[in-house]
Amino acid sequence: MTIRNFTRREFLRDTAATGGAAAIAGSGGKAWAVPAAADPPVPTQHRVTIRLNGTERALQLDPRTSLLDALREQLYLTGTKKGCDMGACGACTVLLDGKRVNACLVLAARLDGREVKTIEGLADGDQLHPLQAAFIEHDGFQCGYCTPGQIMSAAGLLNEGRPLDEHSIREWMSGNICRCGAYPNIVSAIRQASGRA
Amino acid sequence: MYFRPTTIDEAIGALASQGGRILAGGTDFFATQGDRPVLGPVLDISAIDALKGIRVEADQIRIGACATWSEVIAADLPPAFDALKAAAAEVGGWQIQNLGTIAGNLCNASPAADGVPPLLALDAAIELAGPAGTRRLPLDQFILGPRRTALAPGEMVVAILVPRRFEDARSHFMKLGGRRYLVISIVMVAAQVALDLQGRVAGARVAVGSCSAVACRLPALERALLGVAAGAGLAGLVRTEHLAPLRPIDDVRATALYRLEAAQTLIGRALDACLSEPAHA
Repeated sequence: MTIRNFTRREFLRDTAATGGAAAIAGSGGKAWAVPAAADPPVPTQHRVTIRLNGTERALQLDPRTSLLDALREQLYLTGTKKGCDMGACGACTVLLDGKRVNACLVLAARLDGREVKTIEGLADGDQLHPLQAAFIEHDGFQCGYCTPGQIMSAAGLLNEGRPLDEHSIREWMSGNICRCGAYPNIVSAIRQASGRA
Repeated sequence: MYFRPTTIDEAIGALASQGGRILAGGTDFFATQGDRPVLGPVLDISAIDALKGIRVEADQIRIGACATWSEVIAADLPPAFDALKAAAAEVGGWQIQNLGTIAGNLCNASPAADGVPPLLALDAAIELAGPAGTRRLPLDQFILGPRRTALAPGEMVVAILVPRRFEDARSHFMKLGGRRYLVISIVMVAAQVALDLQGRVAGARVAVGSCSAVACRLPALERALLGVAAGAGLAGLVRTEHLAPLRPIDDVRATALYRLEAAQTLIGRALDACLSEPAHA
C-alpha cells in the first residue's frame, strides 16, 4: 500500500469522490450540488471561461451553480467562505471585474469572459497585500471565518476611491458581518491600509 | 432549463415557450430560494443590453430593468432623485447594491421594498413587454399586493420610467429599522418638496412604505401642504388624519401603533430635510 501524506482537504475531496464522505463534503453545497438518485436529471452542463486571479480557468458546470460553489467545490479555492448562502453576511465577498459582490448570489454560468478575484489572488507571491498585513497587525479577526470576505470587501472599497474615515469605513463595510465583533480592529486595519495601499 | 438571451424578443419568446423564473440581480432570487434546489427553468436577463443602464431622455428618465442600486447612486440625476439614491444606499450593503436591481425590487413586491416609496413620489411608471407587445402601467397599478404584481403570464419588466416633471424639487428618504445597517424597514418615508419663488410649497409628494400591504402616497397631506409658507418648517403640519391610507400591522418587527407614530415623525423630518438640503450634495 502506498503511503501518502494527505491534507484534511485532500482527504475530504478524495473520499467524497469515492462516495465515502459525500455527506460531509457535500453538506456545504446547495442541495443540487450532490443530486440523489430520486432528483430530477441534472440539466445540460454549461461551459464558461473566467479569468480567475489572473489566470484563465475553463469550467463545465450545472448552470445553477453559484460562483461561490464553483470556487469552493470545483476549483477547490476554499478561501472564499460560505456563511449564510443568501447574501446576508458578506463572508463570500469577491471582486467581479473589480467590484465587490456576494459570490453566493451570482450564477457562475453568467460569468463567461469576466474577471474574478478571490482572497487567494490578493497577495503578490509571498508579499502580503497591505490589507492582509494590516489585519494581522491590528488583530482584525478572532475566529477568522468572515476575514477573507472582510479583506476582499476592503480591497474593493480601496478601489472605489472614496474618502475614508472611521464612520465611512463602517458605512461602506456594512455588508460584512463579524459575529466575533472585531469591528474596531477591522476599521483600524482598513484605515492603516488606506494610507499605504 | 437555463437560458440567457441577448434580446428582449428572445426573452419573450422563451417565456412563451417554456416559461420560467426571471433572474436579474439575483439578490431576492437566491434569498427566497433558501436551500431548496432550483428545479424550474430560469431566464437570466443579465445579457440583454436593452435592459441596461439609466438614460435621461427628452421627457423622461429611463431606468433599465437591469440597472443596479449602485448605478442609480452613481448616476447624474436631478435632486428629485436624491430620495431614490438614499433608498438605494440602504438596500443591503455595497455588495448587494452592486448586484440587485431596482426593477427586481418592484417585481419582488415586498411591502418593505425600499425602492417603492421614492418611485411613487416620482410618479414612476413601469414599461412591460410581452407576447402582445409593450404596455405601460403607473407604479401604483403595477404592485397589487404583497408579492403580487400586474405582470401577466409571459410578460417582463423592461424599464422604470420617471417623467421629468419635478426636477427642481428637493427630496429625502428616511428609513427606520431595528439597527443601522442590513435591516428590513419598520417604516420608510420618501418626501419631495418644490417651493415657489416666495418660499411657498408649490408641490409636495409623500409616500410611506412598510405601513400598508403596498407602499402608498398620502394625498390629503400633499394637498394640505400646497401653498404653505415653508419658512417655519413643515413637520408640524403632519396630522394623524393625513395617515388614513396607512394600514400598518403588528408583526415581529414592530406594532401597528409604533409604526404609525414613527411614520408621522419620519414624514415630518423628511419634509423638513427637503427644505434644508442644498440642491445637490
